[in-house]
Amino acid sequence: MLRPKFNEIRLLKTGHHNGYWNMALDEVLMKSVSNNAADTPTLRLYGWFPTAVSIGYFQSMDQEIDVENCKNTGVDLVRRMTGGGAVLHESELTYSFITRKYPKNILESYKMICDPIIICLVNLGFNKVRFAPLNDVVVEGKKVSGNAQTRKDGILLQHGTILLNVDPEKMFTVLNVPKEKIRDKLIDNVKERVMGVNRTFDEVSAALEKAFCMKFADKVLVDNITTQEISDSHKLIKEKYGTYDWNWRR
Amino acid sequence: MKKSHYIYKSTKLIRVLLEYTERTTTQDSIINSITITGDFFIYPEESLNELEASLIGMRLEKNTVRQRVQQWLSGSQVFGFDSESLTKAIMGCLNNAETKI
Repeated sequence: MLRPKFNEIRLLKTGHHNGYWNMALDEVLMKSVSNNAADTPTLRLYGWFPTAVSIGYFQSMDQEIDVENCKNTGVDLVRRMTGGGAVLHESELTYSFITRKYPKNILESYKMICDPIIICLVNLGFNKVRFAPLNDVVVEGKKVSGNAQTRKDGILLQHGTILLNVDPEKMFTVLNVPKEKIRDKLIDNVKERVMGVNRTFDEVSAALEKAFCMKFADKVLVDNITTQEISDSHKLIKEKYGTYDWNWRR
Repeated sequence: MKKSHYIYKSTKLIRVLLEYTERTTTQDSIINSITITGDFFIYPEESLNELEASLIGMRLEKNTVRQRVQQWLSGSQVFGFDSESLTKAIMGCLNNAETKI
């Protein structure tokens, strides 16, 4: 398997922002990596505020999400540019890793970028941490991290979450679940299959930064987003991630 | 014309929203519009639009649909379902019509 090693990684700690901004900036950073002649990948660490639900590229907003309830409780709704399922973004650390050098095989590329997540979790003291294809990392069989990727013009973006805490009851207030009986069963199912790491955002952020560096690069360039990236993100919110056409396109 | 919605659980969930012209004594049902949604992964993502567009006007008949899906899968990478399950998801609409429009 191709294991790219980079001279350095551009690290962005962009704090907590709303879902539209978070998704727009991820896409803008793909363009930045594309424009970077030195093949430097970008690692972005971030959170979500206010609480948001992102749906996968191929999902239907109205079919998957209780839109009315989300509106009433101030939960933002946004479509990702990546596939996969709906995610409640509340108590978690999110990362995105954007690179021009990656294995062309999709499974291998997921595995490669999930490796630092495994290292991070092991360093946080967890045992029996493993990659669960295609796109999860599990601890003792329970999902702790879900990931999704896209490839555009030779650039790969993978973003994913490490759950800090899990609130299955809240999760099912934002999803469309047909019957109360099924809801209880699904909540029990999530409690059995999913877990949070029960650490702070900053603790996990520091561990993940270290793990990515250990895996891929000799040094980390701690950076800020540029004024151009800020302005491009605002533009992309207006034209894409903040629009009904994009978020309700399926 | 009939409208139908069918959910099929493969490795991932497939939802199909279909509008089709009903079968007559001389002709099979014909697909008028189709939207395929779910929590699967397809690379490149845009290729799903191409599949949906190519199914319009096609006979809603198992072998015809399966052949088209298999042809599409040879040019895309899909994680979460195979040609058989997507064919079942589409054909499931035939017995699950909700409204006549």
